[in-house]
Amino acid sequence: MAKTFIVSDTTALRDGNVLRRVRHLGSARDGLREWRLQRLTAVALIPLGLYFAASVLRLATSTRMTAATWLGSPVTALLIILFVLTGLAHMLVGLRSVYLDYVHARARLLLAELVLRAATALLAGASVLAVLKLFLNR
Amino acid sequence: MERPLSPFMFPTWYRFQITSSLSIIHRLTGIALSAGSILLAWWLVAVAEGGRLFAATHAFIASPIGIALLFFWSMAFFYHLCSGIRHLAWDAGYGFEIRQAYLSGYAVLAATLLLTVLTWLYVYLA
Repeated sequence: MAKTFIVSDTTALRDGNVLRRVRHLGSARDGLREWRLQRLTAVALIPLGLYFAASVLRLATSTRMTAATWLGSPVTALLIILFVLTGLAHMLVGLRSVYLDYVHARARLLLAELVLRAATALLAGASVLAVLKLFLNR
Repeated sequence: MERPLSPFMFPTWYRFQITSSLSIIHRLTGIALSAGSILLAWWLVAVAEGGRLFAATHAFIASPIGIALLFFWSMAFFYHLCSGIRHLAWDAGYGFEIRQAYLSGYAVLAATLLLTVLTWLYVYLA
């Protein structure tokens, strides 16, 4: 999805990104993909987030049984998993755009990238496994 | 040569307006919500595991500090949601006139307060 090729007469110079790079017109990396991902996840998070806020705040202080029963029901489990994954994808793009503004050394940039991605993967994995366990054990 | 980096204008030279302040708050609430995702994952794991882990997590969330955190996170969430919709409108090409931008800015603030209050009324009354 990153680049559009004209199939009929594809050469290196027909690829708009290569041409831009050769002529030094802009960065020609994959900013658009991130931009689009952020907007798509933002739109998805409107209904998912409202559902999440309306239900989880009430459960946050409830007993384990109540929370486990609710999280284990099929529709809730699905929506919470979707919310967590969409939210974390949105977070990844957002936090990336923050540290790109303030971290200027290459080594530190790479470190920030690795730490953020590892942390996001951990959070996503842990959340999904937890909800799956509740769903399967109900 | 050491050149000053981006935020150096802020405390002394820059005059805040609602438009730039709201933009900064959008970013700050985004960062706060990212931190909140840690507690969310933690809570989900605690509910799944039960036992002492859940007891400790529950004690923290139900404590005054926990409730205050939830309150501020919910406010940050609603702000980021409303402000995000404002950004989506801009992405679609609407609302760029200065008057419209100010108006939508105040609307975002009002909607944030309203949604936060309504949500917590619902939490405590329903």
